[in-house]
Amino acid sequence: MKKTIWRIAAPLVVLSMLLVSCAQPAAPAEEAAPAEEEEAAPAEEEAAPAVEAYDMVLLPKFMGNLVFDETNQGAEEAQAELGNTGELEYVGPTAENSVAGQIEIVTSSTTKGVDAIMISNNAGDQIVPSVKAARDAGILVVTWDSPIPTAEGEQLFVAQVDFDETGEVMADMALSILGEDGGEFAVLSASPDASNQNAWIAALEEILTDAKYANLDLVDIVYGNDISEDSYDQALALVAKYPDLGLIMAPTTIGITAASKAMQDEGLCDTVKVSGLGLPSEMVDYTLNGCAPEFALWSFVDLGYLTYYTTYKILSGEIEGVEGETFDAGRMGSYTITKDPTRDAGLRILMGPFSVYNKDNVQ
Amino acid sequence: MSNRKRILSNIWQKFNSWEGLLFVILIIVFFINSIIAPNYLTVGNQINLFVLYIEKIIVALTMTFLIINGEIDLSAPSIMGLSACTMAYFYSNGMNFGLAILISLLIGVACGAFNGFWVAVVGLNSLIVTLATLIGYRGLARVFVEDRSFGYFPEWFNNLGQKNLIGPFPFALILFFILFIFALIILQYSGFGRRVFVIGNNKDVAQYSGVNVQRVKIQLYIASGLISSLAGLLLAARYGAIRGDTAYGYELEIITMALLGGVNIFGGSGSLYGVFLSILIVLNVRNGLSLAGLSGHFQTGIIGVLLIFSILGPNISKLFKDWNKKHKLFIKPEKIVESNHKEVDQV
Repeated sequence: MKKTIWRIAAPLVVLSMLLVSCAQPAAPAEEAAPAEEEEAAPAEEEAAPAVEAYDMVLLPKFMGNLVFDETNQGAEEAQAELGNTGELEYVGPTAENSVAGQIEIVTSSTTKGVDAIMISNNAGDQIVPSVKAARDAGILVVTWDSPIPTAEGEQLFVAQVDFDETGEVMADMALSILGEDGGEFAVLSASPDASNQNAWIAALEEILTDAKYANLDLVDIVYGNDISEDSYDQALALVAKYPDLGLIMAPTTIGITAASKAMQDEGLCDTVKVSGLGLPSEMVDYTLNGCAPEFALWSFVDLGYLTYYTTYKILSGEIEGVEGETFDAGRMGSYTITKDPTRDAGLRILMGPFSVYNKDNVQ
Repeated sequence: MSNRKRILSNIWQKFNSWEGLLFVILIIVFFINSIIAPNYLTVGNQINLFVLYIEKIIVALTMTFLIINGEIDLSAPSIMGLSACTMAYFYSNGMNFGLAILISLLIGVACGAFNGFWVAVVGLNSLIVTLATLIGYRGLARVFVEDRSFGYFPEWFNNLGQKNLIGPFPFALILFFILFIFALIILQYSGFGRRVFVIGNNKDVAQYSGVNVQRVKIQLYIASGLISSLAGLLLAARYGAIRGDTAYGYELEIITMALLGGVNIFGGSGSLYGVFLSILIVLNVRNGLSLAGLSGHFQTGIIGVLLIFSILGPNISKLFKDWNKKHKLFIKPEKIVESNHKEVDQV
């Protein structure tokens, strides 16, 4: 008898402890809400006459990438400014489970009945069925950072930069690093289905046909799936495969740091340089020691701010989110909704511009 | 007779208590979820919770058979991916859609038979064989689709995965319950099921008592390949598009569901009732955490804890007894005296 009791009791204790610990993280968020309300109160008085509470979900490609945390900061800033008393939930899957995880979060957010979901899509068109279900339930879906390729189910896309310009910026950086004589370089991207990276690479390939870049030879495109270890290995594999390689171009913040670290660890920084899109705070060492002399990025804080503003304005009915509308996005000024030139269908808001970082301005 | 009766009732008690425990846990999870997530108890959510993991829980059924049989199939998610990829590849290259599905199911059968051959006929360890094919089949899938993604399947196929078939129930969910009942009858109430248990208990004894061990094992691997292939196609229908990493890394959770259900990792014991309860627990825990807005990292952590717990759980009473023996804390005084006597005698 004693045996049975223990058999049942011990695991139960473990499990209840576990579940209690799960339940706890939710609590501080609730407690935090009133504080935000107080903070937001002055803004409420001057800006909006009647404020409704909208619950919004900010869904990054996955958790654990600094740039997405910065996006959340921007969104929180906009929330406070607009005085939205609804919940802003920043939640994402793990990098390994990104596709299924994003779909699951869209589905559970639909169940919860939030008002809007803001997605940096990492699932390609696989996200479409779940997004459509969300729209059918009356939820507004806005994408940022990475759109839905077919634009199905998505209201509009808040583009960080012009995707064609990204190709040009990368080609210019490659030229400035490799010199006028050019040479071989390779692209280390995120996952094969990341629509933003794919569009940038396509733009890069397009512009490389220009006579100005005739000496640049793009030899390969590989994928590190935005996992540091994989990206690190892919970078080393590139070096082994192409002995004349002069540059690795990584249009992803995880890829560029992993490649820089790989070149630094192997003492290859003199022969193979790294460039692409990176966060200054993560790249400062590699830029100063010459492994990654030049890289570019936009502000993810601003991207989060603009995305939140746009979404909120559509929710509140100030704009409908259709082509040709112009609206005011707080401290960032005025923006216009246009057709997205990089996709067959779909609308976008273009944020921009690029900042190019080198040893002079990285700190 | 009375001896046999006692053994039977012991076995019954053992099963009874593990499943009873799972049931209690399920109720606790259910209770907590309904407190922390207001939309948890809606019909839509209760169905969604299955649908989001439907492919995994279908494969968990054949995985249960294999583990009880003393084997494992780590390559099941790779077979899922390979089937989905070949179907998409052939279809996008102009093949008739029905034919593409048939071929991908046959590929699933072939993959299972290949696993079965090395395990049953050659006699290699299934952990190693299926680890190798886990990598191999995935590689093959990537050869077919490279780094692209394929979609635009016929509408009826997408609807099958994304729309409801009867009332609020989608096709895959109905299929799961049919397969579950079918599996339950075969494993727990048929001669084949008994052979699966007997082999899992002791392969050699089974062999000498006239059970065709090879045949049973190959049949199980083929079933595993076919069902994985089917699950891969269901996944393709639900996502409406596939790519090389479709179903990547599913093995952990599939095996977790079987083990938490009380299936012995060394084979020989377990039941589909337990597995069904553990499926419900895993799905409800995931769903609750998701509705509570907790990130993927947290969910993965919890699943890991569940897996450890599933191995530890059945042994806890034994651990306690061993510990008790060592420290002599909860033993009746007479017994200590007795054992002291023994020590004295020995001296």
